[in-house]
Amino acid sequence: MANTGTVAQLKPEEAKNANRSRFVRAFLRNRVALFGLGIVIIVVFCAVTAPFISPYDPNTINPVDRLTPPGSVYFLGTDDFGRDIFSRLLYGASISIQIAIIAQGISVTLGVSIGLISGWYGGLIDDLIMRITDAIFALPGLIFLIVWVNIIDTSQWTFFNNIGFDPQKASIFIALGLIGWASDARMMRSQVLSLKEREYIIAAQALGLSVPRILIRHILPNAIAPTIVLATLGIAGVILTESGLSFLGLGVQIPNPSWGTMIDAGRNFTTNAWWYAVFPGVAIMITVLGFNFVGDGLRDALDPKLYE
Amino acid sequence: MLKYIARRLIQMIPTLLITYTIIFALTYLMPGDPLRASLGEEYNRLSPETIAQIEEALGINRPFHEQYFEFLGRMIRFDLGQSYIQKEPVVDIIGYRLPRTIQLMLGGLTVSLTLGISAGIISAIKQYTWIDHALMIFALIGLSMPVFWQGLIAQLLFTQSAYGVAIFPVAGWGNGDLWYMVLPSLVLGTSLSATVARITRSSMLEVRSQDYLQTARAKGLKRNTILIRHHLRNALLPVLTVIGLQIAGLLGGSLLTETVFNWPGLGRAIVPAIQTRDTPVIMGILTYGAIVILAVNLITDVMYAVVDPRIRYS
Repeated sequence: MANTGTVAQLKPEEAKNANRSRFVRAFLRNRVALFGLGIVIIVVFCAVTAPFISPYDPNTINPVDRLTPPGSVYFLGTDDFGRDIFSRLLYGASISIQIAIIAQGISVTLGVSIGLISGWYGGLIDDLIMRITDAIFALPGLIFLIVWVNIIDTSQWTFFNNIGFDPQKASIFIALGLIGWASDARMMRSQVLSLKEREYIIAAQALGLSVPRILIRHILPNAIAPTIVLATLGIAGVILTESGLSFLGLGVQIPNPSWGTMIDAGRNFTTNAWWYAVFPGVAIMITVLGFNFVGDGLRDALDPKLYE
Repeated sequence: MLKYIARRLIQMIPTLLITYTIIFALTYLMPGDPLRASLGEEYNRLSPETIAQIEEALGINRPFHEQYFEFLGRMIRFDLGQSYIQKEPVVDIIGYRLPRTIQLMLGGLTVSLTLGISAGIISAIKQYTWIDHALMIFALIGLSMPVFWQGLIAQLLFTQSAYGVAIFPVAGWGNGDLWYMVLPSLVLGTSLSATVARITRSSMLEVRSQDYLQTARAKGLKRNTILIRHHLRNALLPVLTVIGLQIAGLLGGSLLTETVFNWPGLGRAIVPAIQTRDTPVIMGILTYGAIVILAVNLITDVMYAVVDPRIRYS
């Protein structure tokens, strides 16, 4: 790092701010990353405002207009029930954003905590956790999801009903979180391993700070950056995985379908109504691309030398 | 080297046991049973005695631990018994479908390595030019498309004369006719080729400043010799790592690709097996699938040492 010399002369608080502003500036200079951020903001906007900006009700069946091509009446055409595809896409955006926040949130929280524990304690716990991550890497995530959807009986999940969250959706989000944490945990673990020999951590131990305090206050802030990059890129992956599950007819269905479910429904009509399956795919692609651009930009800003 | 391989093989045992346990527990926990799932309405017309008899014969009424160890024993002996639904030995089902899935995956790998490595080299040589930017943005777009959607688009464009050109068959295995595997391989290989391109590029750039390249140039070697023998060869290590790590993802992708292209691989068998609670088939496909993935990971690790003699495992 070229500017270590100057940073070292600053007070800790100033050094932190200098680092942070260098990071922000590097990110803001990256046009592709900003473009990605723009996409993400637009998708979030669509997700939040769908009820106000969508031209039609997403679930109103209109048999007369079934499979209408894109045009002035229906911007992106209609499906086999005469429902407006554009409106359905707008509503579907909210599911993608929920996946990004909730499912990825679960997996990052799990991954970070498990990685902290694994790296800090080492020994048998570490061995066991690493073998579990090996096992997770050896199971295709999509197949785990298919099994999960077939196992979990959500009819008893009254808690989610009570808070107005569809239990079937909750179960899919939890499963997505359960398959995603392994890479975050490994990244976190490797960070902890290198940090735990540093003087300031040894000093913290010598001061008699409790382990949770050391882990959360002293290791986590210094180790989290690469995990944030990984997590942003992971959002792209998790949206794609859910779309695959939906394409097999097992994804989020109610009350509004996810984009993958729409592609699944549209695939039987590709020859006479191409727009039905094509546009939801475009929506997925643009959203995922947005997160990929942002993740890439974060990575480059974090360390220009660090690519993969 | 042999010692390293032996240690890795021993390490694989607990990993496999954990994998097996996860798979078995999941399968065991599935509500409903294969009888009900396969017979549907007819199930209600069977007398309780008949049901008990069949359950006894299949061994599905026995407690968790007995079934757990019985299946484990059968896995080890490669004796998976019969599919509950298709009345066919599981070994036959896997024996028919596994080669077809491997064929598809090899096709996808060929596509991704060819496209990915070439794009990565070009990008690295032309770093920061518009070609580099365009290729890398293409790579990100390739990474961002759902594989099944790509399959549908490819079918529209290349099998329907109404939307494009009808040069490829729509779907199926075509009795091994390689023409049938072009589209599925392209579709399956796209996202991995994007990853390979990105890694090849960054790794080529990293290797570029090494002294031995300077030496090779100073020796007056031909440009292409330097590029391939000295530069690329040393840059390919991270690509190997990624291929190893992506095999599980490729298997998941092949499930979706098989669905779109009606390809008779393992993926097409696993979904109905899960839906009908066909335990022997599920256990067989998942456990042996996991073994294949772990073996590929080991092979890639061993290949490091072959590609790069500096790496010595102790």
